Parts: sequence; C-alpha cells; structure tokens
Amino acid sequence: MGKKKTMRILIAKPGLDGHDRGAKVVARALSNAGMEVIYAGLHQTPVQIVNAAIDEDVDAVGLSILSGAHKTIFPKIMTLLEEKGISDILIFGGGTIPKKDRGELKSLGVGEIFSTGTDTRDIVDYLDRTLTR
Amino acid sequence: MSKLFDGKAIEEIDRRKEGWQKEAYDPQKELDKTFETLSGVPVEPLYTPAHNARMDYLNDLGFPGQEPYVRGVHPTMYRGRTWTIRQLAGFGPPEETNKRYKFLLKEGATGINGVFDYPTLRGFDSTEPYARADAGRGGVAIDTLEDMSILFDGIPIDKVSSSLVTCQPICNISVQSMYFANAMMRGIPLDMLTGTSQNDFLMETAITVAPELLPPKFSFKLSCDAIEFCTKHVPRWNPISFAGYNYREAGCTADQEIAFVIANAIACSEELIRRGLDIDSFAPRLSFFLSSHNDFFEEIAKYRAARRIWFRIMKERFKAKNPRSLTFRFHVQTAGVALTAQQPLNNISRAAYHGLAAVLGGAQSVHIDGYDEALCTPTELSSLTALRTNQILQLETRVTNTIDPLGGSYFVEALTNKLEEKTSELLEKIDQIGGIVKATENGWIHKEISNSAYEYQLAIESVKMPIVGVNCYRMEDEELPIQLFEVPATLLIQEKKLKTIMKERDTSKAKGALDEISRCCDEDRNLMEVIVEGVKNRITEGEISNTLKGVYGTWNPPLF
Repeated sequence: MGKKKTMRILIAKPGLDGHDRGAKVVARALSNAGMEVIYAGLHQTPVQIVNAAIDEDVDAVGLSILSGAHKTIFPKIMTLLEEKGISDILIFGGGTIPKKDRGELKSLGVGEIFSTGTDTRDIVDYLDRTLTR
Repeated sequence: MSKLFDGKAIEEIDRRKEGWQKEAYDPQKELDKTFETLSGVPVEPLYTPAHNARMDYLNDLGFPGQEPYVRGVHPTMYRGRTWTIRQLAGFGPPEETNKRYKFLLKEGATGINGVFDYPTLRGFDSTEPYARADAGRGGVAIDTLEDMSILFDGIPIDKVSSSLVTCQPICNISVQSMYFANAMMRGIPLDMLTGTSQNDFLMETAITVAPELLPPKFSFKLSCDAIEFCTKHVPRWNPISFAGYNYREAGCTADQEIAFVIANAIACSEELIRRGLDIDSFAPRLSFFLSSHNDFFEEIAKYRAARRIWFRIMKERFKAKNPRSLTFRFHVQTAGVALTAQQPLNNISRAAYHGLAAVLGGAQSVHIDGYDEALCTPTELSSLTALRTNQILQLETRVTNTIDPLGGSYFVEALTNKLEEKTSELLEKIDQIGGIVKATENGWIHKEISNSAYEYQLAIESVKMPIVGVNCYRMEDEELPIQLFEVPATLLIQEKKLKTIMKERDTSKAKGALDEISRCCDEDRNLMEVIVEGVKNRITEGEISNTLKGVYGTWNPPLF
C-alpha cells in the first residue's frame, strides 16, 4: 500500500441529550486506528459543527444522535454544507436511528448510518474504503 | 463475636477443596474463556466457607432493618411491603404525558416516575435555538408552572408519590420549584408531599454534558440548596437521588458506580453540615438510584456492599444516630445500555433478569426497561409489557417470600466483600483528590468513566463479552418485529403557550422575580426559597437558567 494522507475526522454529538458515550468511544477507536480525530465537544449546533468541519479541514464528519432528532439535524447539516458549496466532506452517523429512516437520510447525500451495537472496526473499514477511493 | 466458622474446620475444608480441585476438577476441560465479573473481579470455580473464613455474622451481616443493614433496610422487606413499581414515563408536551401517567396508574403502577425532555433537563426553554430539535424528546417538555399544572392535572399528588427525574441541578432548581408551587396553588401543604427528585451535580458536569454548563461548584451548590429547602419545608421528600444508574450508563463499572454515588453523598453531607444542619436532619432523606446490569451475582453483591459501606460511613465518619440515616435506600432501573437494537424482543428477557437481580438485592423501587428502548421512546405496548414483567416478578415468582435469600451464599458473600474492598479503595482515592467536586473540576472522574467505557467496547469487539444478536447469533436482514414510537408534535404547542404567557403576564412582577434570583446568587442565599415563589410570576425555566448563568458563568468540561 502506498503512503497516503492521514484521514481527518470530526466526531460530533449534536443536540442536548448528552449521551456521548458512543461518540467518545468511536472517537477513541478511530484515533487508535491511526486517524486524526477532532472531537467537537460542546460545539453542538449544526452551524457550529459545519464551521468546525471547515476550519479543521476534515475529510469526514461523524454525527452521533440518540435523541431521535436525526430527521431535523442531518438535513440541516446537509443544507448548510450545500450553501457553503462544500461537497468533499463525507457525512456519516450513528445512534438510535431506525432503519426505516436511513433511506431518507441517504437520499440527502448522507453516507453510512451505523446502528447501536456496531463494531468500531466496521466504521474504520468504512472510512478507509470510502475516503481512499 | 459470632464467627461463623472455626479455624480447624476451615483448614480441613481448604485441604479437601485443594484435593477436589487437583483430582476432580483440573483433569476436566474448562471452556476457553475468562471467568470474571463484568467489572473484572476474577471468579473461582467453587466457593466454600474458606472464602468467608473470618465472617462474623452479627458484625458483618446482622438482621434486616438493623446494623449493618446488609440483609435489608426494613425488618420485613417484601413480606411487609413490596417494592414500588415506578415505571419511567414522559414524552412530548405535558398534555400527552399526563395521559400516559393516568394509564400507568390505572394499570397498577404504584408511583409516578416522570422524565423530562432534553431541553428541560439542561435548563432551556423549548423555543431556544439549542433546544428546538429536542423539544419533547427523551421526556416531557416543561417550560413554566402552567406546564407543571397540566402534567399533574387530575393526579392526586397528596397521595401518589412522584419521582421527578430532574437529573441536572440547573433543571431541578426550577422544575422542582414548579412542582412545589403547583402543590401550593392546589392547596396541598408541602409537608404532605412524598416523592424524590434526582438533582445530581455529576449528571450536569460529568455524565451527560451539554452546552452552557454551570461550573461544578455552582451546580453542586444548587443541588445542596434543594436538599436544604426540602429538609426545612418538605420533610417527606427525598431531595436527591444520586444517579449511579446514569454513571453506569456512561461507562462506569459496578464498583465505580457505588463509589461515585457515595462520594457525592459524602460531599453533600459535608456541605450541609457546614451550613449548620445536623446530619440526622437530612441524611434520612438522601436516596440512591442504581443500575442493574448483566452480571447477575455482581449486581446483587453491589447492592449489599453499598448498604454496608454507607452504614459504616454514616456511623463512623458522620456519627449519625437516626437509623434511617444509616440505611442505603435505592431505586433500580434495569440497564438501558445492556439492551440491543438487534432482535429487540430479546430485551424482555434481559430486563427480567436485571429486575430479578434488583429484587434479590433488596431494592426499594424498580423500573423495568421497555424492549424498544435501544430504538425509541417506549410505546404504550412496550411500557405495559415492562410493567407486567415487574408485576410477574412481584406476584408469581415467590422471590418475595423470604428476606435476602442469597445471604449466606459463599459466593455472594465473598463477592460482596470484594466489591466493598474495591469501592473503598476508590473512595480513598477521591478523598485524596479532595472530594468529588475537585475530582470533577480536574477531570479525574471524566477520565475514569471514559476509560471504562472504552474497555467495555473492546470486550464486546473481542467477543470476550458475548452479546446475543450483536456479536453472536446475529440475524442478517432482520425485519423489525415492533412498532416504533413517534414523539408527538411538541415545539409548536410549547411555543404557543410561551407566547401567550409572555403577552399575558405582569412584566414587572416577572422581572422582579428574576432580579430577586440574581440578588440571591450574589448574596449566596438558598435559591430554592426564592424560585418557589418566583415561578408563580410565570417566569420560564430558561429565564431562570440564564439568570443563574449570568452570575455564575459557564464551564467547559474536560473531554476524553
């Protein structure tokens, strides 16, 4: 395998529910897999997340949503990115997001949605595959 | 002295056990796995009196309702009164949750367990920019006293006890005050009210963080203000329920869970004593909220160990005299983090085992999770199934026939001792740091939890910890066999009510109430005293929070 640029990933936990266990575990797993991970911490509104993604020049943004607000937050983020003319940042996510809602999110251009119980190695593989294509 | 075993007999048992191990056990094949508890305590193939060689029955176990309370906090336990069935409920606007409360009470729930939506928990009004997407999610939306009166409309709050899951002190100081103000307006004296509020500063600053947190010492102050207020005016109310359940959900092990709740309770006790209260005036009302996770015996040992540790701390460190101060009373919720989104009906059996462990451990009240909680807010059907699981446990299994039925089990007693030892080590460490507030300010607690959560995930991924349906016995292309809950429209309803209130209320009175809160912060007086009166002037939760943040500032927690 040739030398490649280290992937930069922003992990964010939008909304107020505070269930950040998953986001932090994923952040640590991606970092242990050799990616540069920026954890957005308390920057939790869609505007803050999109700005952080641009400022940090990341390849992908992972959003963890457990409150059920995914149908509000993902579209908002996609619209903000579009308004700023950004198309090269992959948006993916995870949390308590029912399967039936995933199609709708993907049609907006969102990448993979990982359910509760996902192996973090599957997320690493997915990013490896998708971002190095 | 009441040592259970004499030295000679122990020596003989040990000698024979060694022989058994060598001749009978070791030649057989063991499964290729590590035998240890969920929190990493090694588990031996067999436990005998030798593991409890120094056990002194009267000193270490005693009798139910008597020191050291290991066998239970009441003399009769479930033979006298069964545990309270307190099923959590809350979603959408208060009008909708009021219906669910009435439904659960009609179906036999014996107390209310009210959970609030994320904006309410974090001190925001439904309409604020941070809040809008989460209005009505995870619980019921409360913005003003009017919402509180709708929530409890038609519910006899002078008779039914209410547990208010006002996790964060910034929420509790307003929402709890609204509950009390609502009772006053209904003509119910505060000393008739029974219930519990959560009010745990670690929930605000370490367990589930959100933007615009109060700094730990001020969040802690709000928590103590509520305890002080209730001690003086609402004597039958438990003004705090140390939320070990949520610490566990965030990643803690069993011993961290009880060490952190007890360290928190120690800090509150020290602060209230500093304010001039006698330990026996408030300690009888300190209550605890614990998880029941997958390791059946470890959970039972955890509850028993917690009772013994608490008893010793209250007796020796605080010199408490009232027997009620010495008893560790707790509510249990079955572990949400142990539920799976895959094959969700399996969660019915998981939660039933969790509930059984809680009851064998002597819980005072139990919530059993709905099978769909890894996917959505529980539907009416899943709430009802959880309620029935609780009732089956209470009425059909006959586990209530005798008190502490596992007391005396060689294994359970040895594990109880082990958990006591591990917890005491953590408590010592927290004391060395300077107490739980310092351990939060410097990020020690955040790091502990984050490390445990990561290890847990690695154990799942290495299949060291099998989870049926997740890392074994998976079903590909599984069809979801259940209906998911949709949160009813909330934001528009709350927005409309808030607009009306803003238009109709007496502006100068509202401003006066907020100014009084601000003054109270400056003068370091008890905030609940003024907020209980203030909310009657129709000020909102968000306005109160902003006033507090204006004086105390906000804090960015360490992130690990």
